[in-house]
Amino acid sequence: MARCPGNLTRRTFLARAAATSAMVAGAASGLPLTSCAESPPPASATSSGRSRVVVIRHDALAAAGRGPAPQRVRELLDEAARALAGDAKPADAWARWFKPDDRLAVKVNCLGLPTKPAVSLGLAAAVGAIGLPPERVTLWDRTNRELQAAGYTLRGTGDAVRCFGTDALKRRRNGGYSADVYTSGATGSLISRIVTDESTALASAAILKDHNLAGITGVMKNFFGAIHNPNKYHDNGCDPFIADACAQKPIRNRLRLALFDATWPQYQGGPAPRRQWQWPYGALILATDPVAADRVGCEILERKRAAVGMKPFEAEKRPVRHLASGEARGLGTANLERIEVVSIGRPWLDVG
Amino acid sequence: MNAKPSTTRRAFLRSVGAGACTLCAARALGEDVAGPRVTGGARPQAAVHDAMWFERLPDKAVRCTLCPRECVVAEVERGYCGVRENQGGDYKTLVYGNLCSTNIDPIEKKPLYHYLPTTTALSVATAGCNMECKFCQNWRISQYRPEQVDSLLIPPENLVRIARNRASPTLAFTYSEPVVFYEYMHDAAAAGRKQGVGSVIISNGYIREPPLRELCNHLTGVKVDLKAFTEKFYAQQCAAHLKPVLETLEVLADIGIHTEVVVLLIPTLNDSAAETEKMAKWLVSHMGPDVPLHFSRFHPTYRMKNLPPTPVATLDRARKIAMDAGLRYVYVGNVAFHEGSNTYCPKCGKVVIKRVGYRTDASQLRDGACASCGTKIPGVWTQEQALAFKPNEKASPKPARAAVTPSERSESRGLAAGRFGQRDFSARSPRRPRSK
Repeated sequence: MARCPGNLTRRTFLARAAATSAMVAGAASGLPLTSCAESPPPASATSSGRSRVVVIRHDALAAAGRGPAPQRVRELLDEAARALAGDAKPADAWARWFKPDDRLAVKVNCLGLPTKPAVSLGLAAAVGAIGLPPERVTLWDRTNRELQAAGYTLRGTGDAVRCFGTDALKRRRNGGYSADVYTSGATGSLISRIVTDESTALASAAILKDHNLAGITGVMKNFFGAIHNPNKYHDNGCDPFIADACAQKPIRNRLRLALFDATWPQYQGGPAPRRQWQWPYGALILATDPVAADRVGCEILERKRAAVGMKPFEAEKRPVRHLASGEARGLGTANLERIEVVSIGRPWLDVG
Repeated sequence: MNAKPSTTRRAFLRSVGAGACTLCAARALGEDVAGPRVTGGARPQAAVHDAMWFERLPDKAVRCTLCPRECVVAEVERGYCGVRENQGGDYKTLVYGNLCSTNIDPIEKKPLYHYLPTTTALSVATAGCNMECKFCQNWRISQYRPEQVDSLLIPPENLVRIARNRASPTLAFTYSEPVVFYEYMHDAAAAGRKQGVGSVIISNGYIREPPLRELCNHLTGVKVDLKAFTEKFYAQQCAAHLKPVLETLEVLADIGIHTEVVVLLIPTLNDSAAETEKMAKWLVSHMGPDVPLHFSRFHPTYRMKNLPPTPVATLDRARKIAMDAGLRYVYVGNVAFHEGSNTYCPKCGKVVIKRVGYRTDASQLRDGACASCGTKIPGVWTQEQALAFKPNEKASPKPARAAVTPSERSESRGLAAGRFGQRDFSARSPRRPRSK
């Protein structure tokens, strides 16, 4: 039975009063009052101050069809996580970003060419190393229909990884979106309740692909799928809207990890799948800095385009503007010279 | 000013009774719907329909030519409105008959003050809008995508039947932005015209000229929201531009369709005397002194909650400025019991149509003229007059970009007809934008 609020003991009263005083004092001193679960992601910068991005390549990742086995993905992600965190054990690395009592929401991208389920499931398995139960991990996108079309198996209950769309929460009003409008820069949006109500930590599991307006669709633009009105934010190459959407407080405060499915990236014709412009790059890209991850992904696509004789995005009048906007908003590092790319396996710039 | 009447017991009971009837009628609309109730999240396939205005681009992209945005939309993506999608290089509307709002409203609520006063309009909307006004009163539908709202599937013919059954002489396409559900509106207006039901749109006027001229072949009235008279306001508050809206007003004047203009005055943003005067003079010179102009009161909402409601004094001032500029019929809206809600004879000054809330007394309007002095009052006063409207015979400009060919359209229409299982498109002339 719940304790009656009226039954306050002297000790309880004093404890609460002290806690309240501490919070007020903290606020007055400028200290953040948000809970640990909503604290900004830990810095991934190296000792030299550069953002670190790990690109791990393996032949198994370049397998055609449904992609690699989730177990293989997990092993490679463990290796990437160790390299990213500088730890000897994978569990220590994952524990830098997640806690066992977190509720982790992994945003996948199912529009057009999707994030492979094997990659997302591999991430869910890898973070299990810290004791985070699978049922506390949710793979999600806008709608159940899109997830199913991308090969995901819907699951809302049970002791396995959950998987459902924002629309599965539609009974909570607003089609599954928050009741309040969140404003960030030029954007004003409702945000998926999977973010606001169902998670304490976020990971962006994006597919590396071309986009006809923004240049690339990356880990940042992936969060267009977290707001209710992404169609309003495609002018001017989606800039500054991608950065603004990413900087929405519920997203920014929960985002811990950026993961690129670069197993079969697409360098032209996106976001719809175009088989003729995909190639077996066979990589996973891991970072805690979403801007740096997008910058590295962008560089890979630009190199590939150059290798096959295509013009850079800028020359096609779709420069990747959101990187600079992201850096301006303090979301990460856009300058490649200030990014340390750790390459495991084949060199990351070998795009042949 | 002595505009606040004392409410009699009889008037009170009549109002309550009317309200109850309206509610019952709205609920009863469900009897006539053809399809299943579609809940948010699902995509109602029956509401997917060929878009009328677009051109194909390389790599299966399309350019929408319906509104001034002219969105270039890649495969699997949607346009700015959120209700049009590129499906494999074909552009589709996702809201053909997918209505998220249906209601029977007094025509005065639109507001249309010079159009069949005291009648009702079967008012409908789908999700979506081609602007993003930070002060939108209906943002819960206009700024949503179709799958995020609950909807009813009502084909055009059924909509007309509902209107006739409910003795509504008018269909009103309203609430969100009807331009984004153009195809449905076009077909419903055409079907209504054939069966004695007129159609009005309540629009932001953000539409290109060729689709507008084509649509006006079937409409009987238009209300345009002129958000402000500065490009800055349109750009910063609506994510749009002023010029295309002014062009729409010019085209409407050229067509000769009954048009009323509404301006929502927002404190500090578009309520300066200079802007109001400039706007009023433009309306006089481009649409004539008889175009009804409504100054409406702003209430904080959506992304604009930091400003107070518009002071009534500001509305009064704007009304005076507009009348001094030469406009004869200027109204104040969203203010209860205001003398600016009435229509006054410009010659003798007597009240011709008295309005208190949505209760309207038009007994002093006789055959479209002031009962006191016989001065003609411009407007649409009978259903016969509404249905007799034909656009001025000036040829429509040829669309800058042709839409899909008639053969392509009739082929895909057949598929769409199959979804409803009761439409026979083959008996109808191919729907093609009118050209020279």
